[in-house]
Formats: sequence, C-alpha cells, structure tokens
Amino acid sequence: MIKYLLKRAALTLPTFIALMFVTFTMIRLVPGDPIEVRRGERGISPERLAELRHDMGLDQPVWKQFLDYVWALLHGDFGTSIVSKTPITTEFFTLFPATLELGLCAMLFAIVLGVPAGVIAAAKRGSVYDQSMMGVALVGYSMPIFWWGLILILFMSNTLHLTPVSGRVDLIKYYYHPVTGFLLIDSIISGQKGAFLDVVRHLILPTIVLGTVPLGVVARMTRSSMLEVLEEDYVRTARAKGLSNFRVIGYHALRNALIPVVTVIGLQIGTLLAGTVLTETIFSWPGVGHWLVQSIGRRDYPALQGGIMLIASLVIVVNFLIDMLYGLINPRIRHGR
Amino acid sequence: MAAETLVFSAPPGALLSFWRSFRENRGAVIGLAVVCLVVFVAIFADFLAPYNPLEQFRNVTKLPPVWVEGGNWKFPLGTDPLGRDMLSRILFGSRISLFIGLSVMMVTAVLGIFLGLIAAFKGGLVDVAIIRVMDLILAIPSLVLAILIIAVIGPNLTNTIVAITIVYLPRFVRLVRASALSELSKDYVTAARVAGVGQWRLMFSTVLPNCMAPLIVQAALGISDAILEAAGLGFLGLGAQPPTPEWGSMLADARDLITSNPWVMALPGIAILITVLAINLMGDGLRDALDPRLRRS
Repeated sequence: MIKYLLKRAALTLPTFIALMFVTFTMIRLVPGDPIEVRRGERGISPERLAELRHDMGLDQPVWKQFLDYVWALLHGDFGTSIVSKTPITTEFFTLFPATLELGLCAMLFAIVLGVPAGVIAAAKRGSVYDQSMMGVALVGYSMPIFWWGLILILFMSNTLHLTPVSGRVDLIKYYYHPVTGFLLIDSIISGQKGAFLDVVRHLILPTIVLGTVPLGVVARMTRSSMLEVLEEDYVRTARAKGLSNFRVIGYHALRNALIPVVTVIGLQIGTLLAGTVLTETIFSWPGVGHWLVQSIGRRDYPALQGGIMLIASLVIVVNFLIDMLYGLINPRIRHGR
Repeated sequence: MAAETLVFSAPPGALLSFWRSFRENRGAVIGLAVVCLVVFVAIFADFLAPYNPLEQFRNVTKLPPVWVEGGNWKFPLGTDPLGRDMLSRILFGSRISLFIGLSVMMVTAVLGIFLGLIAAFKGGLVDVAIIRVMDLILAIPSLVLAILIIAVIGPNLTNTIVAITIVYLPRFVRLVRASALSELSKDYVTAARVAGVGQWRLMFSTVLPNCMAPLIVQAALGISDAILEAAGLGFLGLGAQPPTPEWGSMLADARDLITSNPWVMALPGIAILITVLAINLMGDGLRDALDPRLRRS
C-alpha cells in the first residue's frame, strides 16, 4: 500500500510542475506590459519603470524569475492582489468556505435525490416512472444552469417571495462574525434567533442550481449501474433465498451498484467547481468563483494566477485522495497493472 | 437472376443496421428530428428570420411575445430593450451556437485522434508527455480554464472556440488512446504488422476504424457540452461580444429585465436547453446503437 501511495504521489509531481509553468507563462502572455497592467500607469518615467521592474524582479533572466516564482509558491506565497493589496492566499481562504459550503450542499442534494431516483428507476425498469425519471434526469444534465438560476429567481423570489435573491445571509438583520467560515455552523454558534433559518433560505436556490447537473449525472449512473448489478448471479441467489424485493435491491444490489456511482461523484468535483463560477455570479455568492470572474473584470492578473493555481492544486489533491480511497477499498486497483 | 438473389440474401448494410437499432429508441429519434430542425434553421436563418437580428425598432422596445397581453404579431416573440426582434435574434443565434459546437467538435476530433494515436503507438516518453499535458488540463475545472485562456487571448467568438477546444481536447485524446491501446493487442493488428503495413497506415486505416464507435458518441456529446460552455462564457461576458445574437450573451443582457420583461431572459435559455437536450438525446441513441456494450437496457 505504501509503495502504491508513493508511486501515485510521484505521478502528481510533474503535473504540479507543469501547472506552475503554465500559470507563470500565462501572466507573461497577457497582452500589455505587466507594469501597466499591474499599476494601471502609462507614460511613466524610465527611472520609475526601471525601479518597478526591479521591484517585481522583471529585470532578472526568465529562468531565474521562474525559480523565484516556484520558490515563493513552495513557501505558500501565491502573490498579492493588485486591487486589495492583500495576499492571494488570505483572500482565497476567506472566500473558499462559502464555495465549499455551497458545493457540499449541492453534492448532498444530488446524492440524496439522485441515488434513490436511479434505484427506483432501475427496479421499475421500462415503467412510466422509469421513463419520466430518466427524462427529467436528462433535462437536468442538459440544463444551462445560469438560465435555470434566473428562472428560479423569477418564480421563487420575484413571484412567490419564498427565497432571497442573493448573498449568504441577510446582513441587515443579522451580524456575521466568521468563526468556521461555514455559515450554517457560524449562525448557530452566534446564537441569533432566526439566523440559521435565514442562512438555509439563502442556500436553497444556489444549491438547486449547482446540484442540478450532478443530480442528472448521479441518477443516470445509479440506474445503469443498478441494472447491471441486478443481472448478477448473486442477486438471483438472494431472490431465490426468498428475500424481499426491498432487501435484495436496497441491501444486496445497492452496495455493489454504488461503486461506479462513487467514482462519478468524485469526478463531479471539477464540474462543481466550474459550476460555482456561474452559480456564484448569478446569486452574488461571496465565493471563489465569483471572485475569479471579478478579478478578470478588474484586470487583477495576480489574483487570477494565484486563484487558478490554488483551485487546480485542490483538484489535484482531491483526485489523489480519491485514488487512495479506491486503492483502500479495492485491492485490485492498488495491485493492478 | 442469381445476382438478384444474392442482393436479397445479403446482410443489411452497416448504415441500415445502425438505423434499425437507432430507431428503436424513440427519444433518440425525437432528438435527431429536433437537431435536424435546428440545423435547418441555422442554415436558412436569412430566409426564416423576419428581420435583421441587429435592426432596432426604437418605437416598439420591450414588446412581450404574442401569447402575452400586449403582444404583436409583427414581432411573434417580442422585442428586446433596444427594439430588436427576439425571434430573428434567436433564429440567428442557432447559427452561432451550432458553429461553435461543430467547430469545437471537429478540431478536438482531428487533434484528439492524432495525439491519441501517436500516444498509443509511440509509447514511452511521447506517451507520457502527451498524457501528462492532458492530465494537467483536466486538473483545472473546465470553465475556470476557459476563463483563464480567454483572459489571456481576449474575449471574442474565435477565442471562445479556441478555449473550449483546449478544454475538451483531453477527453478525446484519452478516449482515442485507450481504445487504440486495446485494439493494438489484437491479432488482426499483429497480422497487419507481420504483413509489413507501415506505421501511419496501421494507425489510420487499420486501427482507427475499429475505435470509431465510442469516438462518434463522444463527438456528438461534445457538441452539446461545447454549446453549453460557450453559452456560459457568453453569459459571463467572455464569449461572443454584443451585438452578436449569441444565446448566452443575450441572456446576460436580459438579466436586469427579470422582473419587468422576463421573456427576453427566458427565450434564449429555452433555445439553449432544447438544442442541448436534443443533441444529448441523440447522443444516447447513438451510444445504444453503436456501442452495444454500453447499451442502457
């Protein structure tokens, strides 16, 4: 197991190096002089220009600049935002809990609804329920989520006045003191009456919007995986033993059917992070996705560079952990090849 | 006479047998019909659209569609805040979305087949290098990477296609490589090698045709993904720029009208959903018909 772990870890190393190279190159490919872009200045004196270039290390050879960049990254220095003048890591990790909270809720939404829907569809294969459920799943999978978000706002917020339109909590009614960064927890800690419910109300629409595509994927995957497992001999044996239909499907078959579903859920992490960019933009959710889009608008390239470096690192690490988990669950993978 | 009996007893052609199994899936046939309709609209938008999509009728701004009170048959789907005919804009929008979807699909297919086959055939360092680069692209969430690329090369229609192509390339490369590798160990490939077939011929005319089924399915589904991604970029203001009638950017323009004039916002989204849904339905049918191993039921 240790050998497998080390081998797998060694494989992620080149990816990290390449990632550093790409983010390093990117900032140099942006049209316009980096000083002009960063300082928003034009026509500055040659002395001042030389001074700024020296400050930013731009008078060094390119290979030296790259090594400096890597050295800084290894020390946790991902650069400083031009706009807020704060370190990127500080900005990122202040906003990240909001994204994580939303992402986890969306994933939970997709699993809680998707798995049972897929199981029932497989059990009642070919029925009206199966057909309509898979139709709905395909619509969810094909949904342009930015439009879906606006439609939900139109009906739930503007017409029925059930949910708020934007943000994480009503800041006029409730004060917000971040402890964990997860508002569902912080609102309970703060002990304010109604704060928790308000947070939940704010979470409903973004959760639905972000969870819709994964919901479609999970439901479809559960169904097809379940159909496959139901053909297996051991399921026939279980039935022959006289076990109830519920027990055969819900216990014997489901356990094995869920293995590919878990894989798919792992793969949805990238989709979720991409989806947060759109979802957070629609709902003005103060998370990492919204921040990235705003950084482009402000031409805050260091923020973009550091942010993408951090997001990609997270995805790489999470994928690595998922691989480890598989190796742990399924010995065939770790001894494979 | 003998020739005639031969013709009658011959097994159905590949196309015919494909159509027979495709036809079994009702959803797929509906999807195909809608896709054909969208393609027809895109090609003949000039004749079908009542007006130029950029023409502004300043005296009839924010007109609702005909089925809503106050609608006008002269503008069946109403007008936007600048008085442009929504129907014409949506019809012309199909052209842009399909153009993006098809260009991305074709470029990723050509590049993906090439890189995937090279990786599978050369092996060694070339293989590792190609796969590492693809893994790197996959490590960054698709829309985030597309945003990064757009930030570097600037927002417009061509760059949207470039960005989405880069984002979707790895899936294709990996698929081609995996299918080619599984074919390479088969006897017919060894036989061809023994017979002295050259490397390129082996790649493109011996192995490739046998990997086509999953590639066609991936290509079809890739079109719908590309359309969604392009619309997402358009929505963020990073895709096709105004006044181009692109569905995603039309939606973004109409965001503020959500209360006063929701139809301007709703219609482009419906167009995206219908197109993407139809392509996905068709893709499901293609998969069932072409790849019996993945058959759903």
